[in-house]
Amino acid sequence: MNAIMTQCKFEMIRIFRNPYFVFWTLFMPILFYFIFTNIVNTGVPDQGEWQAYYLMSMTTFSVMGSAIMNFGIRMVQEQTEGWSTFMKLTPFPSWAYFTAKMFGQLTMHLLSIIIVFIAGFLINGVSLTIDQWLFSGLWILIASIPFLAIGSLIGTMKKVETAGGVSNIIYLALASLGGMWMPIRIFPDFLQKVAEWLPSYHFASGAWEIILGNVPDWRSFLILIGYLIVFMLLATYIRGKQEN
Amino acid sequence: MGNVVQLEHVSKKFGKTTAVKDVSFIIEKGSTVAILGPNGAGKTTTISMMLGLLEPSDGMVKVFDTNPKEITVRNRIGAMLQETSVIDMLKVREIMEMFRSYYTSPLSMEELTSLTGFNADELKRRASKLSGGQRRRLGFALALAGDPDLIFFDEPTVGLDITARRNFWEKVATLKLQGKTVIFTTHYLQEADDFSERIILFNNGEIVADGNPDEIKHNIATRSVSFQTNDKEVFALLQSFDQVIRCYEKDGRIFVVTNDTDAVLTEIFRNKVDAKNISIENGRLEEVFENLTAERKETI
Repeated sequence: MNAIMTQCKFEMIRIFRNPYFVFWTLFMPILFYFIFTNIVNTGVPDQGEWQAYYLMSMTTFSVMGSAIMNFGIRMVQEQTEGWSTFMKLTPFPSWAYFTAKMFGQLTMHLLSIIIVFIAGFLINGVSLTIDQWLFSGLWILIASIPFLAIGSLIGTMKKVETAGGVSNIIYLALASLGGMWMPIRIFPDFLQKVAEWLPSYHFASGAWEIILGNVPDWRSFLILIGYLIVFMLLATYIRGKQEN
Repeated sequence: MGNVVQLEHVSKKFGKTTAVKDVSFIIEKGSTVAILGPNGAGKTTTISMMLGLLEPSDGMVKVFDTNPKEITVRNRIGAMLQETSVIDMLKVREIMEMFRSYYTSPLSMEELTSLTGFNADELKRRASKLSGGQRRRLGFALALAGDPDLIFFDEPTVGLDITARRNFWEKVATLKLQGKTVIFTTHYLQEADDFSERIILFNNGEIVADGNPDEIKHNIATRSVSFQTNDKEVFALLQSFDQVIRCYEKDGRIFVVTNDTDAVLTEIFRNKVDAKNISIENGRLEEVFENLTAERKETI
C-alpha cells in the first residue's frame, strides 16, 4: 500500500512536469474558454448560461485530453524504452503499477477540473450552486474513466510516434464531433446523429445537464459504460496477445 | 539449500533459431560467476530466463528454489540490464526513492548514495539528462535498491572507460565480501578471469566449458584425436599416455583430449590400439577463445 502511494505521488509529479500536459490540458482549454465566451460574439440569448455551458465543454475537453494523450502515450514510451521490462524485475506487481498510474491520472483529472472551474469563475464569474459545482465535477471525474480505457488501448501500440499521431486524431475528432467546441444543435442533421453515438458527446452532455439542473440522460450512462467495457476488453485482449 | 540458481536442460527457441540449447548448471550461494562468450552466444537470453523475463521453451529454471517470477524472488534479486533505460521527468533521488519503496527491506538512501557516489548536485538532476556513465551508476543503484542477495549484471562494463570499469569492479568486490551472489555476463576473457571464481563459457547457445578460470584456461589449448573402436579396455591404456589430458566417449567415438595430437597418434600406432576412422579435431574452446581474445584486442 505504501509503495502504491509512493508510486501515485511520483506519477503525479511526472504528469505535472510534462510540458504537453500543462499546455494541452490546462492552457488550451482555458484559452479557448476565454476566446469563445469573451472575444467571439456567439450571439446567444442567455450569456450567463452559455458561459456555464461552455465551461463544462472546456473542462471535459481538458480532462479527455489528459486521459487519451497523456496516459496512452506514456504507456507506449515506457514499453519501448524498456522501462516496463525493468519494472517486471521488481517485486512491485504490474497490476499495482497500473493501479497507481490510474490513480495518479485520476487525481490529475480532479486537479484539472478544479483549475478550469476556478478559471471559469475568475474569467466570467460563472455562478452555479454548490451542488452543481460538486456534481458536475464528480460527473466529469468519474465519466473520464472510459477515456482512460481509450488511453490504455493506445498504450498497446508499438511506437510512440504512431501512438502520438493516432491519439491526437482521436482526441480532436472526439472533441469537435462530440460538440465540445460548438454545440451540436448547429451541426447538420447527419453529424448530430453521429455525435449521439460518441462517448465525448455523452461525457460533456452529462455535465451540461447537471448545470441546467437535470440529471444526466440514461443513454449517457449506457453509452459511456458500453465504451468502457469494449475498450477495456480490447486493451486486455491485445496486451494478452502481445505477451505470448 | 545452497543453490541460488538452478537450470536443468534449458533451451530457448525464437521461431526457428535456437538461442540456447540444453543448458544445465547450478550456482551456489556467495559465488561470483561469469557467463562468458562472444556476442550472440546466448548469454543475455540465459540471464533473461533466470530473471523470469523469458520463458524457456524447454527445461526448468529455478531461482531460490522457486519460479523466478515469484514476488519473493523479485524481492531478493537486483539486476542491471544492458539497455539502461530511465524513467522520464523524475530526478535521480526520486527514482531511487521510488525503487526503494518496492522492496521489503531496502538499503537506506545514505547507503545507496554512498555506494554509487552520486553527489548532491547529481541527485537533483533529471535522470534523462544524465551522461552514459552516470546512467550506468543509476542502474547500479537501482539494482541494489532492495539490498538483494543475488545480483545480475548484463555486460556491465561495455562502453565504460578504464577508471569507471575499475570503480565498478571495486564495488562488486565489496558486494562479494557481503556474501552476495553475483552473476555477470561479459565478452572479455580478462574480466571473467580477474573477477569471477567460476566461468561458464557459452558459444552458439551451448555451454562449452564450465569451471574455475584456471581450469578453463588450461583446457583451452586442447585438441583431440577421435576414433571408433571395439576394444572396451582402451580407456585405461589411453590414459596411461603422457600427453593425454582426458578421454571421453561421444556418439560412438572415443575422444582423446591432448595438447599434442602428433604424439598421441604415435602412441596409438606404437601400442597397436584398435582404432578405426581416426580424425583430429581442434577444440571448440580454442575457436571461442580466439574470438574472445581477438575482440578484446580490438577494443583496446
